Amino acid sequence: MTDPHVDREVLDTLREVMEDGYTELLETFLADSQSRLHELQDSTSAKALSDVAHSFKGSASNMGAVRLAELCQDLESNAKDKSPEALAQLVADIHSEFAEVRPVYESEKHHTHIH
Amino acid sequence: MSVVTEVSPDQKKLTIAVKGRFDFGRHQEFRESYERLPHKPESIVVDLKEATYLDSSALGMLLLLRDHAGGDNSDIRVVNSSSDVKKILAISNFDKLFDIS
Amino acid sequence: MQAQEPLTILIAEDSAADRLLLSTIVRRQGHQVLTAANGAEAVETFKEQQPDLVLMDALMPVMDGFEAARQIKALAGEALVPIIFLTSLTESEALARCLEAGGDDFLAKPYNQVILAAKIKAMDRLRRLQATVLQQRDLIARHHDYLLNEQRVAKAVFDKVAHSGCLSAPNIRYLQSPYALFNGDLLLAAYTPAGDMHVMLGDFTGHGLPAAVGAMPLAEVFYGMTAKGYGLAETLREMNAKLKRILPVDMFCCATLLSLSFQSRSVEVWNGGMPDGYLHRMASGERVPLPARHLPLGILSAQAFDDRTDVYPMAVDDRVFLLSDGVIDTCDAHDQLFGVERLQQVFAANREPDRLFEDIEQALRDFRGQARDDVSMVEVSLLESAQAHGAAPVYSDSGQSCPLDWSASFEFRGATLRRFNPLPFLLQLLLEVHGLRAQSGALYSVLAELYSNALEHGVLGLDSSLKRDATGFARYYEMRAARLEALQDGFVRVHLQVQPQGEGGRLVIRVEDSGKGFDVARVMERPVDNVRLSGRGIGLVRQLGRNATWSDQGRSASVEFFWEIEA
Repeated sequence: MTDPHVDREVLDTLREVMEDGYTELLETFLADSQSRLHELQDSTSAKALSDVAHSFKGSASNMGAVRLAELCQDLESNAKDKSPEALAQLVADIHSEFAEVRPVYESEKHHTHIH
Repeated sequence: MSVVTEVSPDQKKLTIAVKGRFDFGRHQEFRESYERLPHKPESIVVDLKEATYLDSSALGMLLLLRDHAGGDNSDIRVVNSSSDVKKILAISNFDKLFDIS
Repeated sequence: MQAQEPLTILIAEDSAADRLLLSTIVRRQGHQVLTAANGAEAVETFKEQQPDLVLMDALMPVMDGFEAARQIKALAGEALVPIIFLTSLTESEALARCLEAGGDDFLAKPYNQVILAAKIKAMDRLRRLQATVLQQRDLIARHHDYLLNEQRVAKAVFDKVAHSGCLSAPNIRYLQSPYALFNGDLLLAAYTPAGDMHVMLGDFTGHGLPAAVGAMPLAEVFYGMTAKGYGLAETLREMNAKLKRILPVDMFCCATLLSLSFQSRSVEVWNGGMPDGYLHRMASGERVPLPARHLPLGILSAQAFDDRTDVYPMAVDDRVFLLSDGVIDTCDAHDQLFGVERLQQVFAANREPDRLFEDIEQALRDFRGQARDDVSMVEVSLLESAQAHGAAPVYSDSGQSCPLDWSASFEFRGATLRRFNPLPFLLQLLLEVHGLRAQSGALYSVLAELYSNALEHGVLGLDSSLKRDATGFARYYEMRAARLEALQDGFVRVHLQVQPQGEGGRLVIRVEDSGKGFDVARVMERPVDNVRLSGRGIGLVRQLGRNATWSDQGRSASVEFFWEIEA
């Protein structure tokens, strides 16, 4: 069954490309993502939300977090049209999706051998 | 190709047709059209029906052809010249060297 | 497939994880990696390190990718530094912004290694192509400079050869571009010893040095022979032979030559391959075309060469106008030629003859929208009195051993009279006598007059009264050519006698012919008539020489010259 949250093939490729740098990449991603979540919370304008979402979308897709990337795309495209309530909901969804995939990346830090 | 040649079956007549601008850019092609024939033709026809323009380098090329074909003993006709081309040939008096029509 | 050369690649990406990932991918592909976290850092790093290629994130803080790309492109100048935008932008407007900012390609996120490698390779090929183009352009520019310098040198040499002419004479007006020589155009003018003027407007095939190189030997022949008193026909034969000998088969020189005689009020014309010249008769306003009747110089062998000229009468202030084909061939934006008809219109509209050049130049400018650089025009007028000659020829001998007491007789018979002009030779002989050198012009004029009278009126039996009008003039010269061609018998004798006298000396010239003679007394009585085209010859002889007499019923003419040695 393919994981809707994290594309395992992407992880395999990343592991192969990064070799010894895989752990560093994971840590960087996790740290980046944390700060992005904070920025989303603090953003007041639609434009600011949209820009953070765009950036987050980029690294999420690079790391294979497909659902997270979709949610960020949604926020990026529709930030100006949605109501404050809808936006808040979307931000919350992004938070929870990240919480969902975070363990996967954490555990990957310990699986640095090539399959 | 802007220079097209045709040799008669008995190899005695060579027809060289020049199309488009007959100028310095045609130099190589024109020379090759008569220099590398296995048999030297007895008569040569230069067909200018589709030639749009003629300048002094073309006149020079005709002189080279004439020299190659035997100079005063050559038999070269320049045919189907447009009125513009005829005018240029007339001013340079090339009808004294070539049969022009 | 050729292996990809390692490049220095700048990665500008604000997301740390993406930057790390991309750097690793690119490094694994064998390249050296520089990184930047925003646009401003990217520009700085570019300035310092000069990477070969840039991977640029579009949206970055401080300075975005678009602005950074613009600045980097400006810094790169002529060289191509490919910029590949990293983007998950999907709207076409955003993509258009990338292109406008100078981006060369895109790479979408998530990054695909294979696609990235392919794009890097393609961009690198373009980069190297651009570098080659610039290198070759610079090479060409250097060569061009060498060529220009060579031309400068050639021009300097040629100017020394050409300056011996009389283009600055008061009766000549001309227009020639400074680089006319390298367009193949040649304009020469020189006085004959008799004070006539030879003018040549020539046009060599081709451009640049090959065209210029033929001009020098030609100019030497023209000036040398004209100064010695050779006529147009002989000068033409010599020029043709020279060019035929030295030029390749496909090169030749179109030319119009004129010999204007102020003395006999006529112009002799030879046109080989040039556009029509025009003889403008002021009295009637008529412009007589002078078309090309001959092949250009350098084509025919000496035997086949046709040196026949046409002679036209000229009144005072009449002009001959010659032009190179640069005028007729001027094109407008639609490739239409200016052509002869438009030139005729300019003639017709021209109100002030002295402004003809300006009118033509204006018409060309109006037609083409700008001036043309390779137009040559010359206008020669027949002015009233005898003009001062140019500098006298310089002699190289000291005069210690010049012949002062001698005589010589010559008889030129039948067929020789047809082709041989003895005048230059006779003049050279006489100029061995230093005391006569100051009068070389007068000597030549008198000799020429007596000889041509002896030949034309005596041996050929031509009646000079035929030359009373333009038609008769043409007929006269036709008959002259025909009779000369058919000549079998007859002679002209020239006797020269030089003797010392007092502090100087005396020359007696006697010319005899085998003709029927004429009524000397009757001709002497005629008043000298400046309007009539004939009959001035005898007056000239009496005016320039001393003790001019005719005997043997006009078949023998004698005239003397004296000189004193200056203390």
